[in-house]
Amino acid sequence: MTVIEIESLTKSYQANRAVHGLSLRVEQGEIFGIAGPNGAGKTTVVECASGLRRPDGGTVRVLGLDPRTQRRELLQRIGAQLQEAALPDALRVGEALRMYAALYDRPADWRVLLDDWGLADKKRASFGSLSGGWKQRLFIALALVGNPEVVFLDELTTGLDPIARRTTWGLIRELRDRGVTVVLVTHFMDEAEALCDRIAIVDHGRVIAEDTPAALIAKQHSDSLEDAFFALTGRTLS
Amino acid sequence: MKGLRQVIAIELLLIVRDPMSAFFALAFPPLLLWVKLRGDEPLPGGLPEIDATVPMLSVFVIGQAALVVLPATLAQYRERRILKRLQATPASSALVFGAQWFAHLLLAAIGTVLLIALGFAVFDLSAPANVAAVLLAWFLGALSLGAIGLLIGALVPNARAATVIGLSLFFPMVFVSGAMIPREVTSESMRAVGDLTPMAPVVETIRDAWAGNALSPLTLSLMAAIALVAGCAAVRTFRW
Ligand SMILES: Nc1ncnc2c1ncn2[C@@H]1O[C@H](COP(=O)(O)OP(=O)(O)OP(=O)(O)O)[C@@H](O)[C@H]1O
Ligand SMILES: [Mg+2]
Repeated sequence: MTVIEIESLTKSYQANRAVHGLSLRVEQGEIFGIAGPNGAGKTTVVECASGLRRPDGGTVRVLGLDPRTQRRELLQRIGAQLQEAALPDALRVGEALRMYAALYDRPADWRVLLDDWGLADKKRASFGSLSGGWKQRLFIALALVGNPEVVFLDELTTGLDPIARRTTWGLIRELRDRGVTVVLVTHFMDEAEALCDRIAIVDHGRVIAEDTPAALIAKQHSDSLEDAFFALTGRTLS
Repeated sequence: MKGLRQVIAIELLLIVRDPMSAFFALAFPPLLLWVKLRGDEPLPGGLPEIDATVPMLSVFVIGQAALVVLPATLAQYRERRILKRLQATPASSALVFGAQWFAHLLLAAIGTVLLIALGFAVFDLSAPANVAAVLLAWFLGALSLGAIGLLIGALVPNARAATVIGLSLFFPMVFVSGAMIPREVTSESMRAVGDLTPMAPVVETIRDAWAGNALSPLTLSLMAAIALVAGCAAVRTFRW
């Protein structure tokens, strides 16, 4: 079953064409990666799909819903971890999860999320006092607090220490095994290779390749996904 | 509903945790009351000064919460992308507005109760002649000034601008509208200017209600109209 269908999506910021003519499909229960250079348009795609930005053109369907016209209904069923977001500094971790849970019709048990994401000890810590990695964990937990059928994770493990990254991978796989569809934007090719069922490489607002990690590597005759990424985007280290 | 209640509770908690807004909305007005009422000459017209001052300062409290604290909070939430995170949830802009308005109204209510308690305990304040009318006038005042605060919060580019605009509306307004200086002792020209501000009808109705004078239906409708127009404009111009 196709859960996300994006067809010829375009989005400009003033004269800057961030996304033009981007199409992709995500199937139910897969971990779908989006990778690409800085400024490629990844965040813009995720924000259009999760109802945070209005596309200029093209069609977007998530769970069969149009984010432009059925935003409220869609937002009950998806979760998002945004690349740039914050909470009030004085808000405590437990309070944030409790409040966000209350915004959904069928929320997850936020206390379980607190344990899953290792936040139990930080329950009474204020957002402003958390280090970058702890904020990141809280944002992942907040993305899941509505019991979503689809989660968008923009730069999932940026800022996490190596142990937290591995733990996160495990928890993301568990999510998929429960039937949740995961879309993750990442700059870490080892992460994409280890975690994603399929990957889209985005550059200049378009998908330039879309396949399983193994197939992407094979097609570029590369040794690793990272080499395949360099080959595809035409970027070399200089 | 459960969402709205949670957001309001959290919002109120955050306001109280911020020492500056808590001080200005809760501690400053009682301080003013104490400073202002050291002499006890009745006002021209014979009304004991305390019976005018407590209703007046309750408008000061409403204005402080609605025009200064609320727009700054909202603008800061936008600037720091706190609203952006909320936008990715089923929370509607109406819920954000409702919660902001209600939390700041509660802050003003607490401030008003403190003032009244101090008035009774220390200054021999007379009981309000018509409690229901006072509540109605206070509520309509909070509604109309709160809607203006929401509009400022929706329009300003950042928190600094919100504070500057909020304060530069609030301070002149409390002086000319009679929320700081009783209208009985201000000059005619000052009253004329004051009457053009949205704070004047609030001062007038709360004082009338306290003293037991009949409330003017025109003034009440004026406050309702301000609330409606500013509220609708705020909803239309809102950005996450
Ligand atoms: N709010 C905005 N206003 C103006 N331009 C923007 C805005 N957001 C993004 N852009 C521009 O749109 C283009 C795509 O940005 P986007 O954030 O989608 O890229 P990205 O692939 O997520 O990059 P990164 O890997 O750095 O996160 C960039 O050129 C960026 O400068
Ligand atoms: Mg991005």
